[in-house]
Amino acid sequence: MKPLDEEQKKKIIESPPVGTWTLMLVVGLSFVVGWLFLYYGVFLPRGAVN
Amino acid sequence: MHIDPLEKKWGYISIGMAGLFVGIIMIDSFIHGIDAPSNVETINSARLHLTKEFAEDNLGVQVDEKGKITVRIVAARYGFFPKHVTVPAETPVTFRWASMDVLHGVHMPMTNMSTMIVPGYVSEVTTSFPKPAKYPLLCNEYCGLGHDHMWSNITVEAKETWQAPSITKTEETGNE
Repeated sequence: MKPLDEEQKKKIIESPPVGTWTLMLVVGLSFVVGWLFLYYGVFLPRGAVN
Repeated sequence: MHIDPLEKKWGYISIGMAGLFVGIIMIDSFIHGIDAPSNVETINSARLHLTKEFAEDNLGVQVDEKGKITVRIVAARYGFFPKHVTVPAETPVTFRWASMDVLHGVHMPMTNMSTMIVPGYVSEVTTSFPKPAKYPLLCNEYCGLGHDHMWSNITVEAKETWQAPSITKTEETGNE
């Protein structure tokens, strides 16, 4: 594998971090979906507590 | 203070998620009347058997004249008394727990019934069970060497077949 030249390095550093955004979106959505499932799919059907 | 733009974005997402969850819980609590169980009521744990409410003859399931179902159970090392109760499904049931000695907890797996039973206090939780089933009742606070043997049973029967116990009087609190 050829080492990156300066121009390629600059291009990579200055390009938007699409991978990180995707990861943030995937983690965030998974967390929300998981929480909603536990609240509406598990907690409430078992009978509210007071 | 410098915060990286990506960290800021992740911070906004985290705060947004927390806000969404708190919002859902608050809306539900207002619309459906869901509150966190809280009951501050003291009782003399060393004299439970002398109180009207938690005397041996008064334990178990009772239905008052308005149809409210109350279950009184005493937790003591190492068991719950009475050992077995039967309640109806799809009906609000109020559990009142008192400890005779040390700190206990109670948990019914696969239900939302879970609370600590603190000596000197009456723990009260109202819940309903959606379908008929048999549930174990487990102590979930370490209370001594016999803790892992401290369990009991609750049977949830269909509302149509459940029969109210013959004793339907309710001894009012009257605790110290």
